[in-house]
Amino acid sequence: MFEYKFRFRVYAGLVIAIIGVLVLRLVWLQIVDSRAYTGESRSNALREVRALPARGVIYDRSGVLMVDNQLRYSVTLTARYFDPQNVSLLASLLNVPDSLVVDRYQRARDWNSFRPSVAFTDLSLDAIGRVEENRYRLPGVGFQISQRRRYLTEANAWHALGYVREIAGNELESRRQSGYRQGDMIGKAGLERTYEEYLRGELGAEFKLVNKLGREFKSFREGDEDVDPVSGYDLHLTLDSKVQALAESLFVNKRGAAIALDPADGGIIAFVSEPSADPRLFSSSVAGSTWVALQTADDKPLFNRATMSGMPPGSTWKPFMSLVGLQKGIITEHTRYQCRGRYVLGNRAFRDFNSVAHGSINVERAIEHSCNSFFFNLMMQLDIDEFKYWATEFGFGQELPVDIGEQQPGLIPDSAYYNRTYPSGWTSGYTINLGIGQGNMTVTPMQLARYVAAIANGGWLHAPHFVDRVVHPETGETIPIDLDPSRRVPIEPRHFETVRNGMSRVVEFTSGRGARIDGIRAGGKTGTAQAPGDAEDHSLFIMFAPLEDPKIAIAVLVENGGQGGRQAAPIAGLIAEQYLKGELSAWSKTRVSYVMTLKSE
Amino acid sequence: MRIWYRNLDVTVIAAWIVLVLFGLIAIYSTTHGPKAEFLLDSVRQNFDRQLLWVGISLVAATVIFLLPVRFYQNAAFPAYILCLVLLVAALMFGPSINGARSWLRFGGVGLQVSELAKVGTVLAVAQLLASRRAQKAPLRFGFLVVLLILIPASIIVLQNDTGTALVFLALIPLMLFWSGFPFATVVLIVSPAVAGYLALVFRPAAFVFSLLVTVWLFLQTRERYIAAFAFLLTAGTTALISLVLPRVLSEYQIARILSFTNPEAEEYRYTVGFHLVQSKAAIGSGGLTGKGFMQGTQTQGDYIPEQSTDFVFSVIGEEFGFVGSLIVLLVFSYLLIRIIAAGVQMKHPFGVMAAAGASGIFLVHLFVNVGMATGILPVIGIPLPFLSYGGSALLANTMMLAVVLNLYMRRDDLSIYGY
Repeated sequence: MFEYKFRFRVYAGLVIAIIGVLVLRLVWLQIVDSRAYTGESRSNALREVRALPARGVIYDRSGVLMVDNQLRYSVTLTARYFDPQNVSLLASLLNVPDSLVVDRYQRARDWNSFRPSVAFTDLSLDAIGRVEENRYRLPGVGFQISQRRRYLTEANAWHALGYVREIAGNELESRRQSGYRQGDMIGKAGLERTYEEYLRGELGAEFKLVNKLGREFKSFREGDEDVDPVSGYDLHLTLDSKVQALAESLFVNKRGAAIALDPADGGIIAFVSEPSADPRLFSSSVAGSTWVALQTADDKPLFNRATMSGMPPGSTWKPFMSLVGLQKGIITEHTRYQCRGRYVLGNRAFRDFNSVAHGSINVERAIEHSCNSFFFNLMMQLDIDEFKYWATEFGFGQELPVDIGEQQPGLIPDSAYYNRTYPSGWTSGYTINLGIGQGNMTVTPMQLARYVAAIANGGWLHAPHFVDRVVHPETGETIPIDLDPSRRVPIEPRHFETVRNGMSRVVEFTSGRGARIDGIRAGGKTGTAQAPGDAEDHSLFIMFAPLEDPKIAIAVLVENGGQGGRQAAPIAGLIAEQYLKGELSAWSKTRVSYVMTLKSE
Repeated sequence: MRIWYRNLDVTVIAAWIVLVLFGLIAIYSTTHGPKAEFLLDSVRQNFDRQLLWVGISLVAATVIFLLPVRFYQNAAFPAYILCLVLLVAALMFGPSINGARSWLRFGGVGLQVSELAKVGTVLAVAQLLASRRAQKAPLRFGFLVVLLILIPASIIVLQNDTGTALVFLALIPLMLFWSGFPFATVVLIVSPAVAGYLALVFRPAAFVFSLLVTVWLFLQTRERYIAAFAFLLTAGTTALISLVLPRVLSEYQIARILSFTNPEAEEYRYTVGFHLVQSKAAIGSGGLTGKGFMQGTQTQGDYIPEQSTDFVFSVIGEEFGFVGSLIVLLVFSYLLIRIIAAGVQMKHPFGVMAAAGASGIFLVHLFVNVGMATGILPVIGIPLPFLSYGGSALLANTMMLAVVLNLYMRRDDLSIYGY
């Protein structure tokens, strides 16, 4: 009999020591460090399923719904749980090549093996049904319902609205902080882009428990911690969808732009840059070939002519010259000038159109007849820097405070410009053409529109804008639009009156007759901008109506459309008629068909 | 006439019931929770099967309680031989399950023979040491004990079930310790294993341990050679693991071995460290009181592999928290000490050794299993006695416990053959 008691004590000590070690370990794991492991287990099993909010919809000026959302179905892949052996099964269910599934699988893996990432979008309900039936064989495959834009009116307004598109590579990285994930849609151009943060809404979250295979099996704490998504704000535009649709249709076979503004506040009634793209093309994923085609087409459909295309204003510049001359006292409304059909400067003669001599002519008549000699004479008495000052006052030579996209500032020369361009010296012969809107200057159609709106309203320059207000669909909360303050061109109102009268005569009697509206008096001015080379000139027209109390101001450009009166004026007139009367007369409708036959040469 | 069961220790039976109940609750949670609908039928039936095995174990225990002490002494060696035969049969004819050939099928029932072999081996060692001659030639009998244990252990290694084989190896110092071997020798045998573990986890501790063991052995034995040998053994193991291992094994293999010390590291967490990361997350996130029955996110999400078998402790840690885990550990410590106390009270080598073997095996299983689940030991796939899903283990462990209880209950019969 040996010392069992000793051995018992040793053994019992060992048991207690071992269990003591285990208990201490548990104290460490479950009490001291529990928080860290709670995090670990949550990041594991707790999946935050993002609940996407409904993107804000877009209404036109009279409350017509232009853009809303449509559900679209997507399949997601969670790379870690997806069995690569299922590639062909999934491919056959979705009716896509195996290589595409492999590619999406690799992308999902590169992003995050443990999170579902959207792999296939815009699936038919059929395809979704097929996948759902086989889901038990497809671990790591899930669904997501998202939305795409739906365009409800005939107006495209592609350059204004822009489009939404699946967020891509580097932008995804920079926006990840703001909650964007692969497969999310984001406004890529136009208003969709400018107002992205309002339109998008706030993400919600549902917390689900997922098992090792990435399958949700239960909601976490019965959904107590879930957060509902908050819908995006709706945009209420100043655009009139009917006017917009008409304006677009008038540009069939033409390249150009048309902008219609409300002279009272700068709200944009129509905004056309043609050719453009069909926004419906962009509401689902855009095929690469479509992109290439849009980007390389000769007529540059992605180029926003309304704000980006700069050209000399031609005779549409003459109201400007008149205003400056009147304000500066170079002329009065009664000052008469003897027009001989040409203006001789040194040994050069600057001609009137067709060398027609207008005889003794005041400023109103000079506008009416677009008398070059009158304005050459005026320009000769105007200092070039003075010229630049007033052009700048009217918003030329600078980017406008518009709520979309890229712009060309245009060019208004001053003496420094001429010194730079002609270091060996220059004379007034170099600048005299500026008096009739030709020569070394460019303006954009958008600038012209704002300028004619200022003529119409007596000198107020407003910030052109598309969005009237941003309203939340559920709470009705309205976010005011932060516009640049309006300012007034320091020219006496009576001078505007004089110029408007001259412009009304253009529509009444001369080159702008094509813009006449039955029963409504209007003012306008044609312009013909010289196009480079042998190409047909650009056709320009600026207009406002009604004469007595202008409600709409329009600038129209038809590239290579010949003289301003030929193509641009009828387009402007029809736009104004549609807006002011709400419909077109029978006669005007036939004119629409006629205008549609005209072409950019 | 005295009632035959008057000496039955009901507290041990109560402890057994508590442990088995915890196991059943955990298994129920893994098979009938909210995720159940995604489980295969065969997995969902695990709970029912385990319930069936509890019944079988109860029947087996009852039969064991009815048999006299002598039966076990006589049956010890034949049972041992039978176990060896079954082990070899499993190795040769058994199906390969999880890469190991340790199963035999009888009709529809699968038996993991290596579990039963533990009972046979413990009984055989006990019977060997019960011989009077054992006291007279401790070295020779010590050698025989080692041999008795090594034979099934090697077959099990061949079966590719290293975890179970390790339990057999751990049995060697325990049995020698109880057989009356000098305590110093037992320490000597265990010391390289401890040194090796420390070398893996924290090298300086291994050197300190090596020095301590050497000094302690010298003080105990006053034998310079034994002390020197102990130093060679422990320091040698430490050196081997810290210097030679990195040269022999590839970096990846080293990483695998070391992964348990830092499973969260980016390079392990989805590969070799996955079990541990998930198990620790489950237990740690359980906190003080746990997430509640069938509420464990790790458990219900199937994140912990083998959560109803080897990692059943994670389920308890997650759903019942520190409180639940502590109850399990306390009940275990009562059971282990109570068994060995019963053995000592029998005052007969057969009884002591049977109790020592049973308690020792449970202790090793408990330490390795919970140590693994909590990340202080490498992942070695052995079940937690009485809790883990698995009929063979439950049956074998219950039988072993029942044999010890029966011997204790009939200890008066034993004494006749004792000293």
